[in-house]
Formats: sequence, C-alpha cells, structure tokens
Amino acid sequence: MVVGDYLLAGIVAMLTGLDRVALVQIMISRPLVAATLTGWVLGSPLVGMEIGMLLELLWLGRLPVGAAIPPDDTQVAVGATVLALSVGPTLGLSGMPVVILSVLIAIPLGKFGQVFDRLARHVNDRLAVSGHTALMAGDIAGLERNHLFGLISFAFASLATALVIVLVGSFVLYSVAPVLIGAVQEAGLSLHYSLIMVGAAVLLGTINVNRSASLFCAAFTGTMLVLWLK
Amino acid sequence: MKETRLSGLTFLRIYLRSFLLQSSWNFEKLQNLGFFYLILPGLRSIYGDEIPADVRQRHSGYFNTHPYFAPLVAGTVLRLEARQLAGEESEVDAETYKSMVMAPFAAMGDALFWGGVRPLAALLGLLVASQGSLWAPVVFLVLFNLPHLLFRGSGLILGYTQELRAIETVQKCRIPDLAIRLKESTTVLIGVLCAYLSFKGCEHQELSAAWGFVLLPVVLLFAWLAHKGVTSLFLVLLTTSSLLLLALLF
Repeated sequence: MVVGDYLLAGIVAMLTGLDRVALVQIMISRPLVAATLTGWVLGSPLVGMEIGMLLELLWLGRLPVGAAIPPDDTQVAVGATVLALSVGPTLGLSGMPVVILSVLIAIPLGKFGQVFDRLARHVNDRLAVSGHTALMAGDIAGLERNHLFGLISFAFASLATALVIVLVGSFVLYSVAPVLIGAVQEAGLSLHYSLIMVGAAVLLGTINVNRSASLFCAAFTGTMLVLWLK
Repeated sequence: MKETRLSGLTFLRIYLRSFLLQSSWNFEKLQNLGFFYLILPGLRSIYGDEIPADVRQRHSGYFNTHPYFAPLVAGTVLRLEARQLAGEESEVDAETYKSMVMAPFAAMGDALFWGGVRPLAALLGLLVASQGSLWAPVVFLVLFNLPHLLFRGSGLILGYTQELRAIETVQKCRIPDLAIRLKESTTVLIGVLCAYLSFKGCEHQELSAAWGFVLLPVVLLFAWLAHKGVTSLFLVLLTTSSLLLLALLF
C-alpha cells in the first residue's frame, strides 16, 4: 500500500464516520458497507466485504439512542480492512486467516471510538453555546457556521479512531501473527462462520421480541431440514 | 393577515438540511442548533430575513427526536408558526407541540428504523454476502434507504399539510406494531442465516449435516448470555479462544 492508499482510506474513515451520527445517516457507516468501500478503494472489495460480514451483527442491537454511544463498529471495519490489506502482505499472509486476525485485533480497539466520539460531543457543547449566543445576537450565519463546524469534530474523532486501530493494530498483528497464524489457518472457516453466528446470537438476544426463541428455532430447524434433504 | 405558504424550493431546502440535523449534536441540548438550522429556510419564508428574537429563542432550546422524524416535526412547527403570525388560533403553539411529540417520535423512530428496518436489511444483505456477491452492500443500502428517504420526505409534507392531525395519522400507521413485525421477520432471518452457516460449516468439515443441529443450543445459549448483558467482545473472545485452543490441540 502506498501513501495515497492510506489517504483514501482516511477519507473513507471520515465519510463513513460522519454517517454514523452527524451527516446524512444513509448507513454507509454499517460495517458491511464501510469495509467493502474501504476494500474497494484499496483494490480488494471482497476482502472488505468478508470483514464487513464478520462485524455487521456484533453491535447492531446496540441502538444509538439519545446520549448512548455504542463501540465504533464503522472504524473497526475500516481499520480491520486496512490492516488486512496493508500488514497482511508484508507478513506474507493473505486470505481468510489474515482477515480473521485483523478483525479480532480491531474489535477491542473499537472502544477508542467511544472515547473520541464523547470528546467530539464535548467540543460540540462549546459550539452549541457559541451558536446560541450568535443567534440571540441576531447573527444567524454565526449559528449556521457553529452548527456545521460540528462536522469537523465528528470527522476528526472518526479519523483518530481509525488511526489508533491501524497503528496499534499493526503493532499487535506483527507481534501475534507469527504465533497464532497456524492455529487460525487450522480453525479457518469454522472461526469465520462462528464469528458471524456470535453476532447473530447477540442480535437475537437483544432484539426484544416475544417468542423470539421459538421463531428462531423454527426457522433454524426448517432451513436445516430443507438444506439437508435437498 | 394571510397565512404564508412555503414554496416547493423551501421544502426541498428543509429536506436537504434534515440530513445535517445532528452535525453539532452535543450533550447539553442535543439537537438544538440542528433543529433551528433545519427549519431556518421555512422561518425565513414566514418572517423574512429578520426573524424575531422570541422565535429564535423558542426554536434553539433543547431538542431531541429521531433524526428521520425531525422533518415531520419541522413541517408542523412551520405551519403553526405561519398560522400564529397570520393571527389564526391553534390548540397548541409550536413550542408546546415540539416538546410534546419529540420523545414519543424518538421512541417510535428508534423502534422502527434502528430496531426494525436496519437489522432486517442487514440480515438480507448478509444472506446475499454469504453467496460471495459484491451486491450485498447495495442490497442493504437500497432496502434501508427506500423507506428512510421516503419517510423523511413524506413526513415533512404530512407535518405541514396536516399540522396537529399528523399525530393521528402517525398513530393510525401503528408504527410500534410494524416495528414488532419487522423484528419478528428479522428473528426468522437470523434462524435462516445460522442454519445456512451451520450447513456450510458441516459441508466444509465433511461432516453430516445433522451435526449442524448441535449449533442450535449453542446460539440460544449465547443469545441468552447477550440478553443477560454479556458483551459482544466477551463472546467473541470466548468463541475465538475456544476454537483456537481446539485447533492447537487437535
């Protein structure tokens, strides 16, 4: 990967990060989209999509309600994709094992996203005060300016999260890959499917629907029987 | 005085500004600047460039609702402002209306879009992705954004044309019931996805598909743990370490 690739990834990190709360919210911030987009600008959309699949369901049940800030799954997706496509090849690794290792390393680092997001919102507290003051003074353009400046704090929070994930993640990946890669290759596809199913289980456990267990069991059993007997 | 009517261009501006509602989201007053920014084109049409101080004050205070419901609130607020300026009486003023509806609309939006439409679209996207198709993100975006974008636009028009009656219309849509139906459909799709992955896993390990049923209680156990508050991170670490240990031992 060249410097231009990292810059492109940084732009994707900011744009998808803004989509989480501050801008548009058309869900390009969801891991399935953000990781594929990152993979696409870096030349490997399929690697991105595999990473997005692993992460999509993990925090989907955590609703961005009011002042609640869920872990930053967007930057986990972007960061894991950059790790897989930048550090992986330098270690001579590619394919599923490096995808899984990158995701496993990036997931805990998503906590940094909560910290940076909270910081951005505190910066916005000041913007809200100065915007309100400008408005009361009759300076409507001042309110608009302060309001739109909020985008900058959210964009920087996203970029900072992605940077931490890529920098810390690279160090960890270089350190643990030689030790774990054999086991990850061995577990390979089982690990891949299991991670998606953990996400599915978490979503099932947090969806708050009566009869969710019976609906799930009926759908699972029915589908298994159809696939088995086909 | 005759009531001022908003032009199509003003509606378009408000619609586009609704995508920036949360740009300055803050802990103090949440979407306060955003809501004023959202309705500003409408206020300019009603009051001209010199918006009175009391109007500026009442629309820049604490505000928090679901971002997709904000255009609906904005439409009604602007109509109430226009009527008030024209000297027409209304059951409630714009400020009371805002404080009355923002919390219920927030709850409805969270249940419908974050709890209903988004997981369902994500599950369908994942089912496409599990076939290796790069159309998966597109499928997800289209399925989610069709209702989302339509809702924002129609909400703005509905709020403006029906004013306070818009609340009744929203009630008639039975949004909480719809959200539950969507969640039930999502639950079924989770079952389908898990079964498909179990089957593929067995196929890959050259095991009988019957072994796939073993995963049913495992998923249910994990779901129960998640329901009890165990974090996703812990479950991921538990699964990964168990599988890696098994891979190292055997």
